[in-house]
Amino acid sequence: MSLLLNLGARAMNASQSVISTIGHNIANANTPGYSRQVAVLKTATPQFTGAGFQGKGVAVATIYRVYNSFLTQEANSSRAAASGDEALLTSLQRLEKVLPPGEAGLGKAMSDFLNAMVDVASRPADPAARQVVLGRAKEMATRFASAGAQLADLQAGVASDLRANVQVVNSLATQLANVNGQIQRLAGSEHDTNDLLDQRDNLIYEISKYVSVSTLQAADGTMGVFIGGGQRLVLSNQAAELVVEQDPYDSQRVQLALKGPTGNLPLDSGLLNGGSMSSLLAFQNRDLQDARNYIGQLATALTMRINTQQSLGLDLSTPSGAGVALLAVGAERVMPATTNARDLAGNFLSGVSITRVDPDFLQASSYILKGDPAAVGNYLLVRESDGFTQSVVDGQIVDGFRIDFDPFLAPPGPLDTFRLEPVAAAAIDMRRTLDLPVGIAAASPISAVTTVTNRGSATLDSIFAVDPATYSNANLPATVRFTVQNPDGRINYEITGPFGTRAGIWTPGQPIGNDPGVDLGFEMRINGVPKGETAFGAGDGDTIELVQTPYPNQNNGNVKAFIQLQGEAFVGKRDLGGGLISAGATLNEAYSAAMGEIGARVQGTAYLAAVSNQVANDADAAKAAQAGVNLDEEAARLLQYQQAYQAAAKLLQVAQVVFDELISTVR
Amino acid sequence: MRVATANMYDTTISQLMRRQMEMQRTQIQLTSGKKVAAASDDPTGAARVERALASIGRVEANQRALEASRNSMRLAESALADGSEILQQIRETLVAAGNASYGDAERQGLAAKIEGLRNQLLSIANRPDGSGGFVFSGQGASQPPFLDEAGGVRFNGLPGTVITGNLDDFPLTVDGRLAWEEARSGNGFYLTGALPNAVTGGPARAWIDPGRVTDPALLTGDDYEVQINGTAGLAQATITNITTGAVTTVFPYELGKTITLDGMAFTISGAVQDGDRFSIGAAQNDLKIFHVLDRAVEELRTPGRSSQQIQQTNAFALRDLDQGFQNMQNVRSLVGEQLNLLDGSENRLADLKLYNQSERSAAEDLDMTEAISRFQIQQTSYDAALRSYAAVQRLTLFQYLNF
Repeated sequence: MSLLLNLGARAMNASQSVISTIGHNIANANTPGYSRQVAVLKTATPQFTGAGFQGKGVAVATIYRVYNSFLTQEANSSRAAASGDEALLTSLQRLEKVLPPGEAGLGKAMSDFLNAMVDVASRPADPAARQVVLGRAKEMATRFASAGAQLADLQAGVASDLRANVQVVNSLATQLANVNGQIQRLAGSEHDTNDLLDQRDNLIYEISKYVSVSTLQAADGTMGVFIGGGQRLVLSNQAAELVVEQDPYDSQRVQLALKGPTGNLPLDSGLLNGGSMSSLLAFQNRDLQDARNYIGQLATALTMRINTQQSLGLDLSTPSGAGVALLAVGAERVMPATTNARDLAGNFLSGVSITRVDPDFLQASSYILKGDPAAVGNYLLVRESDGFTQSVVDGQIVDGFRIDFDPFLAPPGPLDTFRLEPVAAAAIDMRRTLDLPVGIAAASPISAVTTVTNRGSATLDSIFAVDPATYSNANLPATVRFTVQNPDGRINYEITGPFGTRAGIWTPGQPIGNDPGVDLGFEMRINGVPKGETAFGAGDGDTIELVQTPYPNQNNGNVKAFIQLQGEAFVGKRDLGGGLISAGATLNEAYSAAMGEIGARVQGTAYLAAVSNQVANDADAAKAAQAGVNLDEEAARLLQYQQAYQAAAKLLQVAQVVFDELISTVR
Repeated sequence: MRVATANMYDTTISQLMRRQMEMQRTQIQLTSGKKVAAASDDPTGAARVERALASIGRVEANQRALEASRNSMRLAESALADGSEILQQIRETLVAAGNASYGDAERQGLAAKIEGLRNQLLSIANRPDGSGGFVFSGQGASQPPFLDEAGGVRFNGLPGTVITGNLDDFPLTVDGRLAWEEARSGNGFYLTGALPNAVTGGPARAWIDPGRVTDPALLTGDDYEVQINGTAGLAQATITNITTGAVTTVFPYELGKTITLDGMAFTISGAVQDGDRFSIGAAQNDLKIFHVLDRAVEELRTPGRSSQQIQQTNAFALRDLDQGFQNMQNVRSLVGEQLNLLDGSENRLADLKLYNQSERSAAEDLDMTEAISRFQIQQTSYDAALRSYAAVQRLTLFQYLNF
């Protein structure tokens, strides 16, 4: 009897327990990170009777959660990758808007400015044409400046996004530590603390969206969480705090660090991968810097060439003088690392400065100057865009700029490093510095006249000064006389003037006057073909007279030089050593390339984001397939155990009837 | 394989979101008409657009320069036409001045007429170009380029032309020195002139004509001196080549007969005097029209000249005027050629611009038909997704369980 009652009671309890578990599952069907729980039934220990083992009913063995650690880890890591790609895509799409194609872009502004110069060539003294050029110059400078400002805004956005993300991660980490503590306290029993474990797994999943983590299960049931190649974020019930601190070189850039007892430990951004924070850092350190350097290189190369050509021409003022600078850009920047050696007052013990020298060779890159670990006293220059390293010395000109150590301070020590930015800060401060239309130097200081008795078909195309170091009006008047006609079509020439006589060779299509050996600092281009001497030494070859321009306000020679900048491939030339120079790109090509580069990155990242998102979704589905709650399944099981409960209740009823029967028989 | 309910909803919702986003992208493309709005839509397409845009800008600038050149060349052409007109009138006047029956008074009148025409010609040479400059200013000249000085009219500037244009070279001015100061002297090959009489020291009594060329291959370009000795009937002409020293004699020499030497053929006419000398030199490109006119006026104003002198000076003046006229015609045809070239360039530039515009359109513009049909498809599939979501979420076991 009591056995029957016990059986019934036990069965009812067990069914109730299972129904409660199913109810728990149904209630938490939509809870994120919830793994469905299953109550495991086992038979109670049987009793040995003379007639065999009598079963004692059912009991609940344990309630376990359906959990697969491999699938969970897969879901975490793929979600980290997807989250990171998503964040990078959003940032790159914002970056792309700074370099639009077509009418609103920087390329169009540069084209408009140089095309307006053609109207000054048509009417050199017309103030209206000059005013249009000034207007276009201002428009172009404004577009560059606003692009630079947009990039600065993106940088500020990255910093503030990182700060917000770090706050979230810190609170998640603190919660994780709490849960770890709770799990630790309850770790002694042989049953799992299912809900706490689910909570902890979910917290790790959430942290993975911000930064990829690795986990290590400890013996006491707690889980250690590590980021960035082994730095601990959460260990047992202690959580470390992430902080956003200033980049060691640049006060506007940020980096991540872990707060420690003795100071902050910076996290190497190269070791952080996955999650939106790592993407933000990668975007800041790579894509944002590339964009700043691209537009800075364009702005600087164009401005320096325009200003040099202005100084080589004559403006419209009375009397005519050399032109002044038309545009200005932001200056070069040198940023010492905060860890560089300082004296007791806090001033740096060494200093470095850079000066832009040759606009053609400026590269779209920042540089790191550091001591050579192999040879103390030598220095290495690392070009960040491609990692190319070369050794440099004080005063050396490399990639279009000169490095100078501060002569009043000690030379940099072996542990001192500097970040050099020759062009990155140029665009944001680009502006027009000339406001008077008469200031545009349209006239060339040198003019040429073909002699009327020339027998060839040579006519003058253009002549202007090109090199401020070698051109001088003191070299005029001079005469160019063509001498020997070479079988390959080139013609030798001699140029005679106050400097003596110099000889060169005219090649069809190439200018003369600044070729090696002549080096007079001007370039003269000829249409047609001059005739050389009839016999060697006859001296009757064609001649061209070179004079100082007598009427500068009707001369448009220097404007031709401006116009030629459109087609000259001078941006980003490289000295490959041994006299080899790789060709640069024209202004429009350089802009197209930069815009296309960013566009290609966006395209690639969009593809990657779609793929990684799909992978993360698939991993989530796989995990949910095992651990997720299916309401229909729970409903079916509910029905099953409800019937079991009813049957067990019936058993109690039967037990009661049997008991009543027994009592009534005994009375 | 199981399906978790929450995961199922999540997947469906993200699908819906994705389809909605695709539809919105197509919508934006349809509204703007462009398939390349940012570089990431098509990086190579965006680069093509940039290149096409840059070319269009350059072609447009070149077209503006062409217009400026055309204006200048038209003005130059009409100025040269006017100048030729005036030279014609002067020629007629000079021919009239050769009338033997005219006296000094008539010649004074003709001189005044020529002087007036000469001043008109000077104002044509200094014609402004309507934008502050002058048509014949060359590479730059004083304002105005031709100065009427004590020594005669002089081109005060740098010869050559100002050129504009970025893809081509279009001239903006005409070389003033070339048009007005570089006619070929003499008859184009050699220059004949009269020298003082060797015996009397006064002017020659005969006169020499401008001369012709019989054989260009025999021309030497040397300087010669011709001296007539003796009187009518027993005259001898001695031709000395001053450059080489060779001497040729013609005996007997009859007045009015042509002397042929070294490819040259010239005639000395009129009453010859013993010792009359004449010079022959190589022709240069240095004949100045205004000097010719000034000299003609001065000679016509000189009273009391012999008929031979008048013949001589008239012949020379006509010869020089014809050379000047010829030169001006050459320059005029040069300018006309330039205008032709500009017309041709105009067509070429228009074609180039059209080509670049089509390039840009091909790279940038949306194929409307394709986009619209794509939009239809996306609309339909979004609709299907919404319907299936609504249908599936109604299916649940709890609906059929009634306790």
